[in-house]
Amino acid sequence: MKDQVRIQEEDFSQDEEIAALKASCLRMGGIATFLGCARDFSEGREVSRISFEAYGSMALSEMKKLRLDAIEKFGLIDARIVHRIATVSAGDNIVFIAAGAEHRAAAFDACRYMIDELKMRVPIWKKEITPEGDAWVSPHP
Amino acid sequence: MIDVLFFGPVVERTGTRGLKVEHRQGMTLKHLRDELAAKYPGAFEIVCLAAVDGQHARDLTMPLADRSEVTFMARFSGG
Repeated sequence: MKDQVRIQEEDFSQDEEIAALKASCLRMGGIATFLGCARDFSEGREVSRISFEAYGSMALSEMKKLRLDAIEKFGLIDARIVHRIATVSAGDNIVFIAAGAEHRAAAFDACRYMIDELKMRVPIWKKEITPEGDAWVSPHP
Repeated sequence: MIDVLFFGPVVERTGTRGLKVEHRQGMTLKHLRDELAAKYPGAFEIVCLAAVDGQHARDLTMPLADRSEVTFMARFSGG
């Protein structure tokens, strides 16, 4: 069984992550997911690839804390967070978050909370590689 | 000694991923920050976050222990 919180270079399977989440408890009535993927256009220019860099040990530790915070705050049954640290192309998966709860409201709210908090708390940076050159990305709201 | 680490956009401006700084009695996060900001002014234009031993550090008056790992970081852009 893969860890509930991971940083990895390789792609992930949404089906496997959801199956693992469902397997943790049969009391789960709602699962909300967020899939972040690479775009081919940003800030008015074409993007060929996106390269990610992380302060790995801290990023993983913060993601684990974030999962536990979300479970406690929203009364989740379980949650999973997977973030790729790699160079990806347009359409590739970047991050997957799943929140499982007894009812849908908590699952939706927790899923939104986790991706919003991840962007603020987890030390990961992305660089867009474009035909005009490379540029580190300034955070979006 | 204190291990200082840089990542992502900060590395682009420091030209290095890290360095060692001699620890001094009574040294705080602010002392270290000011010392490095004088050395790498361009990098510290975008530094807005710090971590000590892998934990967010928001209080610049925080004392630093010898052999701490300190990271000065630009805003995150993961996800």
